[in-house]
Amino acid sequence: MSEADSSRGRKSILRQLADSKVLLLMCVPAVIFFIVFNYMPLPGAWIAFTNFNYRDGIFGSPFVGFRNFEFLIKSGQLWTLTRNTILYNLAFIVLGNILQIAIAIMLNEVRLAWFKKVSQAAMFLPFFISSVLVGVIAFNLLNYDTGALNALIKQTGGDPIKIYSTAGAWPLIIIVVHLWQSTGYGSIVYFAAIMGIDRSLYEAATVDGANAWQRIRYVTLPSLKPTFIILVLFALGGIMHGNFGLFWNLVGNNAALFQTTDIIETSVYRMVLSQNNFTTSTAVGLYQSLFGFALVMTANWIVRRINKDYALF
Amino acid sequence: MRRRNVVRVGAALLAISISMPALTVGAFAQDAPTEITMLTMGNKPTNGRLEAMLEKLNELLIQKANAKLDLFYIEWADWQTQYNVQLLSGDDNVDLIATATDWLYAWENAEKGAFLPLSEEMLKANAPKTWAQVEADGHWDLTKLADGKIYFAPEDNYTQYTNHGFFYRGDWAKEAGFPNGEITKFEDFTKYFEWVKANKPDAYPWDVAGANEAALTGYIQGHTDFQTIQGISAGNYAPFHTTAANPYTVTSWYMDGDALVEAAKLAKQWNDIGVWREDALNYDGDTREELYAGLSGTDQHHTQTFVNDIVNNLSTKQPGSDPKFFYWGQENGNFFKDIFTHGAMAVSAYSKNPEKALQVYDLIRNDKEIYDLFNFGIKDVDYIITADGKMGYPEGYDSSTDGLGTDYWWGRMDEFELPRTTQAPNRAEIIAKLDATAKDYPYSTLIINKQNIDPTLAAMAGVLSEYIPQLQYGKFDDPAAAVAEMRQKLKDVGYEDARASIQADMDAWKAARGL
Repeated sequence: MSEADSSRGRKSILRQLADSKVLLLMCVPAVIFFIVFNYMPLPGAWIAFTNFNYRDGIFGSPFVGFRNFEFLIKSGQLWTLTRNTILYNLAFIVLGNILQIAIAIMLNEVRLAWFKKVSQAAMFLPFFISSVLVGVIAFNLLNYDTGALNALIKQTGGDPIKIYSTAGAWPLIIIVVHLWQSTGYGSIVYFAAIMGIDRSLYEAATVDGANAWQRIRYVTLPSLKPTFIILVLFALGGIMHGNFGLFWNLVGNNAALFQTTDIIETSVYRMVLSQNNFTTSTAVGLYQSLFGFALVMTANWIVRRINKDYALF
Repeated sequence: MRRRNVVRVGAALLAISISMPALTVGAFAQDAPTEITMLTMGNKPTNGRLEAMLEKLNELLIQKANAKLDLFYIEWADWQTQYNVQLLSGDDNVDLIATATDWLYAWENAEKGAFLPLSEEMLKANAPKTWAQVEADGHWDLTKLADGKIYFAPEDNYTQYTNHGFFYRGDWAKEAGFPNGEITKFEDFTKYFEWVKANKPDAYPWDVAGANEAALTGYIQGHTDFQTIQGISAGNYAPFHTTAANPYTVTSWYMDGDALVEAAKLAKQWNDIGVWREDALNYDGDTREELYAGLSGTDQHHTQTFVNDIVNNLSTKQPGSDPKFFYWGQENGNFFKDIFTHGAMAVSAYSKNPEKALQVYDLIRNDKEIYDLFNFGIKDVDYIITADGKMGYPEGYDSSTDGLGTDYWWGRMDEFELPRTTQAPNRAEIIAKLDATAKDYPYSTLIINKQNIDPTLAAMAGVLSEYIPQLQYGKFDDPAAAVAEMRQKLKDVGYEDARASIQADMDAWKAARGL
């Protein structure tokens, strides 16, 4: 009996594969992408432990152990970079998700169809503006000599503000710009989740005498919880990765702002740009990946402890 | 139906076009000219003039060396990264690589194995004229690493000065009270800047963009006898120096002496006056165009730029502006002649045809017909020769859109260069004056072993790139405290070890020469 069964079992796996060949085919581009761009370069991380030279190549160059990592410690920037990167991302994740949920709920409550469409489009548009342009716009709004903001202040008799030398102002500016760019786009997922909530729940709530606020509080928000947790977990995976384009274009090489604006990406970029230093920047990149990996594992472990169904893996 | 036919025809064409080169190569393999690609710097021109020139050039190259030349450009956006990444990538499509020891990381890349070591035999056989000329001048030693091998051919037979300084307007300086509109001391620019600020409300006294250290080096060079040791870079900074008084003791103007603090204080004074944009560090406009448009009183670059571009353009666009040049170290003669490796040509370690590449370089450098074509373009189209034997441009030519753009700075020869109509009329006088006082760079053959100090240099670069731009733009309330803080950080990341390591190389070099 077992032979017949197992052969049937094997067949069924083959059949399963055959049945889902279209789906599998659709996966192929993504799988190839990850193999080419994420797995194949992995051995290159070895550069971080070598005194790399072109002639000997990645694996032929002399091994120097952890010497390249000394830089991270010596420069004293490791702490600042890690702190900035994580704090910015936390702000993006927390504020971003709250705003996205709020906007999705508001859109859902809007009854005028045309107003809903227009406001959605208006909030969506900034997502498509490249960060290069965002940087230029910010400079033209905020710069001291000719910026629109300072022109307004001067016209009204005030003293212009030196924004590009005030490091303290930048966390706020960067967070606001990031939210402005990403909130409209991010709210789509929540909006879709709201659309998927069973209408009968609302009807039941209304019958029970719930007003609009109570329907949001007791039906919409609890129904969004799984989506929220999954999105936050995904976002946590990238918590060590900054929005390079935005930071670079807003701040650039302005060392006066580094204390509050320098993240791992911008620092690595400057290192390669101005120091021709591939080994140390690989070391920083490796540190970033390992630290990020540990963070994701920890976050997932915590979520698993709370509720198994919400964990990613 | 029709659509299907179109697809069929398209597929057929594709198949033919894919197989054609293979067929031709197969049939004429014996005679096919070798394709040589030269990596050069600059924005690839799009006006078609380059291609037209290359077509003619390749006819000559096929005749004389059975080779064809193509150019690969590293464009100016992020050029430092692009250049090093391109060399790092080991691209075997590039044969000749433009380089320089003082601004294009030639030593670093030679050490890392990007360049093919060039043997005497190889040079004699494939670039005989270049070999003979550089050998006669005794300059091959300037291109060797510690292994004693030659890594590139120097541009050692071309007179130019790339010593930096201020370009400013003589007419404004005159009105500001300088006799003849000539400013002769670095600090005197304060008076000029104040005058511009007060009298030219539309103009910045010195519109300058992005991170740099010109205001600091300009002051230090003119007030000390510090001299920079080249080839040891920490990022964009050259942090090791000697003094003329102690030429064999390695030190750093970032670490020792009061000059940096004085310079930073002057920069702060300038910042308070409003000499540059408050947000100069984030500004990335074209400040030279601002100068030409009368919106900036000053610009900063070197003698070569002054005599070739500034005088002609500024006089044309701002008639009566009387362009003037103040160079760093003018007060005390502390400036240098160009080193012979400010431009150089290397052969890629990955080139499939290194011999042919050298042959092509030898022709570009030494064959007048090819030199003219490659450097100046097609006669009467890209340039004209005036009745008095100068090189000029045809009617309607606009240098900003009609440029040939080969940017060949890697082996120019004095004997093939003609005086140009656009050059400063007093160019010869300027050069003669510089020749009379400029010092020779003393450490051309000094080779520094950076293997052990690379991480320290990287860490120093991090510190310098944080403090120097802010000092340059006078952004610290207390420059002296900021300098002290920077010096402490440089010490913390190992400045002293790096200095000692370089000192050891210096001592060995000195002993070997019996100095």
